[in-house]
Amino acid sequence: MDTSPKVHEITAQVLYDEMRRGDPLFILDVRNEDEFASWRIEGVHPLATVNVPYFEFLEDETGSLAKVPRGGTVTVVCAKGGSSAFVAAMLTQEGIRARNLQGGMLAWGDLHITIPISSPREARTIFLQVNRIGKRCLSYFLASDGAALVVDPTRHIAWYTSLAEQHHARMTRVIDTHLHADHLSGGPALARRLGIPYHIRLDDAWGAEFTPASLQDGTRLPLGASIVEVLALHTPGHTPGSTSLLIDGRYLLTGDTLFVSGVGRPDLGAKAEAWARLLYRTVSERMAGLPDEVLILPAHYASRAEMQPTGLVAITLREARARNPIFQLRTEQEFLGYVLEQLPPQPPVYQEIRRVNLGQLELDAEHAGEVELGPNQCAAVRPPGSSRSL
Amino acid sequence: MSQPIQPTKTLDVRGEKCPYPLIKARQEVLQLGVGEVLKVVATDRDSVRDFQGWTRSAKAVQLIQQDVETDEQGREVYIHYLARQA
Repeated sequence: MDTSPKVHEITAQVLYDEMRRGDPLFILDVRNEDEFASWRIEGVHPLATVNVPYFEFLEDETGSLAKVPRGGTVTVVCAKGGSSAFVAAMLTQEGIRARNLQGGMLAWGDLHITIPISSPREARTIFLQVNRIGKRCLSYFLASDGAALVVDPTRHIAWYTSLAEQHHARMTRVIDTHLHADHLSGGPALARRLGIPYHIRLDDAWGAEFTPASLQDGTRLPLGASIVEVLALHTPGHTPGSTSLLIDGRYLLTGDTLFVSGVGRPDLGAKAEAWARLLYRTVSERMAGLPDEVLILPAHYASRAEMQPTGLVAITLREARARNPIFQLRTEQEFLGYVLEQLPPQPPVYQEIRRVNLGQLELDAEHAGEVELGPNQCAAVRPPGSSRSL
Repeated sequence: MSQPIQPTKTLDVRGEKCPYPLIKARQEVLQLGVGEVLKVVATDRDSVRDFQGWTRSAKAVQLIQQDVETDEQGREVYIHYLARQA
């Protein structure tokens, strides 16, 4: 009793490319209802999706088949790709054009998309936003004159080493803007693998099993012999050590400090009010000193409403000052009220993730995949358009 | 849960991955007489959640208990007791 060889399989990358092109897609998600409710594939454009658990096809074949449209192609999705292959085979036998998403949501959660950011010094510089779309995690790859650095890499470090290879660059440093709580960092592993410095501020690395390279406010991080300037700015609040990186004075990698339409939650350290005050000063004083033209490039996003038409998640400070509600709050009291009153629940697994990111705990690959399932919960207020229900 | 469950039959699906533990268990339990119990031994962790979801809507099957144990090879195994119903 094996998967029918007739089933057409597609990879997560192909599915994503079709979404970007705007191909008409229909997703049949055959996981349990609660799994579907907590996390599902979201398109670049709105996506037609129906959830019918695979065992319903066994219990009530006719009723379940009736929920699947005939005429178009159906993409079947489950947790790891096994049950969806089974259902896709069943649909194929019924004469429905069906295909299976290889590796299921696990593969979808691991897919990384690279989107070019207009390069700081044009021709010889490569500047990419790497979007792990299943988690809505953003990281950055910057290469110039044969040297490269990576900011906020995910644990799937092969994506970054292959980017470096592709662009004929040698990776020289890796930086985490802060200690991540929602996903496993690839920073320490990448640094160890390549024998290069791993930068994170000490305020965020207390108790770490490794010794981080410094990330002091106002320091410039050299990038090979390149003339691209990478300047560290201490922007505390989401965490005490949160640091933003200003690239050539024009691009600000904000980590979880400032998002396209919100700010980072200040409550992950059980000192919500104190950290929220730090965040207020970061937003009202530190950010105030930066010019309107600076492009904000965050480490997360909450919904596709925060994407530009190219897929890049970014906003100029000018637009952010006009549209991000955080810039409309005039006093510290107003600010505290706004960020502290609507905090989403903190997933219990965050404590475990922090310990892994400090090198205090190791997880095998399967468990690592499990603690990271689902989208991030890093914003203080869930913006409208974010479809996640808890 | 106070009385030990006496299964009529045991199905070993260790090493099988989703959806086969559930498909095979369903086939077996529907062969049983009403009131009889099938014990399913699986290594697939996803079977825990899937058996719960399935038996919420299944017409002739009830999930009466789930346990986690360690088998003789040191693997974590998930035990499901399914009762055949009218």
